[in-house]
Amino acid sequence: MNKIIMDDPMGRDTVLPALAIRNLNFWYGGNHALKDISLDFPVHQVTGMIGPSGCGKSTLLRVLNRMYDLYPGQRATGEVLFDGRNILSPGLDVNVLRSRIGMVFQKPTPFPMSIYDNIAFGVRLHERLSRADMDQRVEGVLRRVALWNEVKDRLNASAAALSGGQQQRLCIARTIATRPEVILLDEPTSALDPISTARIEELLDELKQEFSIAIVTHNLQQAARCADRVAFCYMGELVEVDTADKMFTAPHAKRTQDYITGRFG
Amino acid sequence: MMSASQSQPTDAGGWQRGGAQAVRRRLVERSVSLLCAMATAVVLFLLFSILWTLVTRGAGGLSLPTFLHSTAAPGTGGGLANAIIGSCEQTGLAALIGTPVGMMAGIYLSEFSQDGRIVSLVRFVSDMLLSVPSILVGLFIYLIIVEPAGHFSGMAGTLALAVLFIPIVVRTTEDMLRLVPRAMREAAYALGAPGWRVILNVCLRSARGGIMTGILLALARISGETAPLLFTSLGNLNWSTNLNAPMASLPVTIYQYAGSAYDDWVQMAWTGALLITVAVLATNILARWWLTRNGSAQQ
Repeated sequence: MNKIIMDDPMGRDTVLPALAIRNLNFWYGGNHALKDISLDFPVHQVTGMIGPSGCGKSTLLRVLNRMYDLYPGQRATGEVLFDGRNILSPGLDVNVLRSRIGMVFQKPTPFPMSIYDNIAFGVRLHERLSRADMDQRVEGVLRRVALWNEVKDRLNASAAALSGGQQQRLCIARTIATRPEVILLDEPTSALDPISTARIEELLDELKQEFSIAIVTHNLQQAARCADRVAFCYMGELVEVDTADKMFTAPHAKRTQDYITGRFG
Repeated sequence: MMSASQSQPTDAGGWQRGGAQAVRRRLVERSVSLLCAMATAVVLFLLFSILWTLVTRGAGGLSLPTFLHSTAAPGTGGGLANAIIGSCEQTGLAALIGTPVGMMAGIYLSEFSQDGRIVSLVRFVSDMLLSVPSILVGLFIYLIIVEPAGHFSGMAGTLALAVLFIPIVVRTTEDMLRLVPRAMREAAYALGAPGWRVILNVCLRSARGGIMTGILLALARISGETAPLLFTSLGNLNWSTNLNAPMASLPVTIYQYAGSAYDDWVQMAWTGALLITVAVLATNILARWWLTRNGSAQQ
């Protein structure tokens, strides 16, 4: 982790953020979806992103691991600084980037293979491990997401047979198995029942000891429960970012206040 | 606020609501069900009468010599061994050639569709091939292979069958790959997988049941083709596995025997037809079993 201490102009010691977005603009073809966004994702914190549908919060997340590269006509300008480099620069190896900045999606997406191979698949892309080391890695991440006891006797069974909540925990295990520094979560609990949701939220609390986390959520309570800092997006703009406490009790912007009190969105 | 128990009955008719209209609806419903049932009965009757005819007329020739002896002159007790091996060899090889070619073309159409014009051209040509009369394929192979070589050959027959086989596999591969959810692709890319790994390890794996079904159905389709073999492998009265010489096949043998004046040849034709039907039926059942097995594994 890049936890370099440096002096900022105000004379205080600050920790470099895990990710720093500077003047980011994003287009879907001619549609200007993100407008001049600057935002820091502090190390070992959960940064929540909230806002009404179509405000650009998921788009923002998809810029951070260059997911938009898959689709022609989508482009970004500006800077996203990660470990000393601008990840938007064309020469960057996106596969390495994606192994360092992992992503978990809205719907659980187990691959059509065994539980074990779902995890080993990502690891094998970047590391050559002996069978014993791989077994250890698989067990380790399954324990971290509290899935080990549920699946240890059927690691070779198809991952599709797991419940939705288990599948989503498997997807998180799969993501942390490649040892990323940042984890992006795009509404990871919106397809899950309340109990599975609670387990994932607990998990986030634990995972932030090791990873820096960005989570997009439609659920304001979830943002209040899980996030250290919350960013409010509206119509492609970043309206306000603050600690979760301040954001939900005393927001500065009128639009933020209207949104969190349920007046729109 | 008025509670439900206090609400007054409206003049919409209560249980008599609809009146004549409801009667008409029930009548339409019943007659449509009846028509569907009758249509189903007609289809099933046709299918089973074909099968019944095949079994009753063909079963008589199902004996060991049929499988051991090659075709022979009328009245000398020949079998179908050369036709069976010829059919197996030609369809098998056609599938071996056609499966990788068809799958790769299907993958190209589904996964590398950045350049719209080339892709739509390839798809158009492939779809054209799908509906080209099979006798034209035979003529085409005759012109480019049989005529220059100066003789009919099993290889020419194999290639003609492969030309029929490929477009079916192209179509199913493309369709099945397109059914792979975008989220699953993205999840694989999000782990840092390069494109070819996403296609090979995730998309093809997810689509394998459907693609396998397509391959088996294509196999079933070409194993009954006669027209493309008439101008290419021609047929051979003797046992031959040489791809460079004319080769016998069940459909061509049936074609030649069924119209002959000899009872034992006609009997052999029925037996050959029964063999093809059973093989195609088995392939179809295998395809279905494969699809449901893989389908249920993904739920």
